[in-house]
Amino acid sequence: MIDAGYTEVFLSLVLVAIAIAVGRWWKIPVQKEIIWGTFRTFIQLVAVGYALEFIFNLDNVGLIFAVIMIMISVGAHTVSGRTKNTSSSFIIAFISITIGSLITLGLMLLLRIITLEARFIIPLAGMIISNSMNASTLTINRIASDIKTNRLRIETALALGKTWREASKTFQQDAVIAGMTMILNFMKTAGIVALPGAMTGMILAGAEPVKAVLLQVIVGYMLLSSVSISSVIALELTVRKYFTPHQQLKIDV
Amino acid sequence: MTSTGPILKTINLSRIVNTQNQPKTIIDSFSFEFERSKIYNIIGATGSGKTSLLRLLNRLDEPTGGQIVFDGQDYREYPPCKLRYKIGYLFQIPYLFPKTVYDNLLYANPKLSDGKISELAVHTRIENNLLKSNIENLSIGEKQRASLARLLAIEPVIILLDEPTSSLDPTNTAAIESLIKDIVLTKGLTAIMVTHDPQQALRMGGTALLLDEGKLAEWGTCENVINNPQTEIGCRYKNKALK
Repeated sequence: MIDAGYTEVFLSLVLVAIAIAVGRWWKIPVQKEIIWGTFRTFIQLVAVGYALEFIFNLDNVGLIFAVIMIMISVGAHTVSGRTKNTSSSFIIAFISITIGSLITLGLMLLLRIITLEARFIIPLAGMIISNSMNASTLTINRIASDIKTNRLRIETALALGKTWREASKTFQQDAVIAGMTMILNFMKTAGIVALPGAMTGMILAGAEPVKAVLLQVIVGYMLLSSVSISSVIALELTVRKYFTPHQQLKIDV
Repeated sequence: MTSTGPILKTINLSRIVNTQNQPKTIIDSFSFEFERSKIYNIIGATGSGKTSLLRLLNRLDEPTGGQIVFDGQDYREYPPCKLRYKIGYLFQIPYLFPKTVYDNLLYANPKLSDGKISELAVHTRIENNLLKSNIENLSIGEKQRASLARLLAIEPVIILLDEPTSSLDPTNTAAIESLIKDIVLTKGLTAIMVTHDPQQALRMGGTALLLDEGKLAEWGTCENVINNPQTEIGCRYKNKALK
């Protein structure tokens, strides 16, 4: 097991120095960003470490829920910043991430895969929320852009008496697939192209490889569930904004 | 379906939209009665509301005032999808779904038999070998004929045609014009066609409706409205069209 302490962190700054040296050698103006990034990584992660230790020690259900809701709000805010062409995207992302996360975590608790302890729930919620956040962003952007660039195709279908759902069916499917691409690619290549983070962390911390792998499999399935739920809900809430109850396309949303 | 009276009637039909937070009237109190089995040409300058009117009649856009009466019934009594089966719309630029013309006809009406598909192809002068060929290989004229066949596949009683020949050469334009006249004659449909070309309206015959800033400025036979206008707006349009 690697025993990482402040001394080891200090020694690992040699690696940062290499990155700066490479940048300077090739005259790539990234030195400032590297230094700022190094500083921020240290401060943010150490702060999170102490916060987590505090929360884990309290192990209060209300506090766990509050932390999850804060994480979801920050995630939804990030989505709204990346989906500026869609109005109310914060609400869309908040609802889709919340439902995806709570159903997945709730099922895992119900099936007794995990227990209601902060040290399990919070790291898993973090993984779920960040993946759902990316999936929601991709889904919202994809459906919005496809509808805007395929107006003639959609209105041709509507004019032939098709419903809005039929007229935009292909684009809805493509948007959900776009949202799920990352997790599907991850599942196809897990262990072959890269060793997943949770598993690697456990192995580095001294866990048996098979146990670490089994946990990673559960994490993979967990992310698949939350990402698919979040993508579908983000799609439903977004695509409906583009149509009226009279089966008309609204481009200026 | 009732057998007498106009097939389509509009009463003070209006559409006002917000452009840059300013209300803009696109269609202004348009009232007219469209008879069965007739050809109507909607003419007018660019921006006069020709396409907007057609979109309202197909309910692709929602009127902000007035009424549309289809076959004696208020348009709001029909679910939009059902209304669009009765009032078909042909877009200016033909869009065909992947992959073949045959697929497009079935997409429009999944109940079509092979016999009915062949009949539609004959009617719209689509050669049999084109039915199953990829739409990518069709010329623009063939695409517009295929779109027309697909429109007829839903068995409408009114066809709305938005400048259907604007992207076609004279030969294909003549072919589509003759096809539309033939459809009106043999199938007893009502055709309401937008055209920017007064000469085309004269070739099509029937009734012309001159729009100006969303209002019906003048209507009558194509010959009268285009060559002998009775209103100032009509005279202005004639002078501009002759230039």
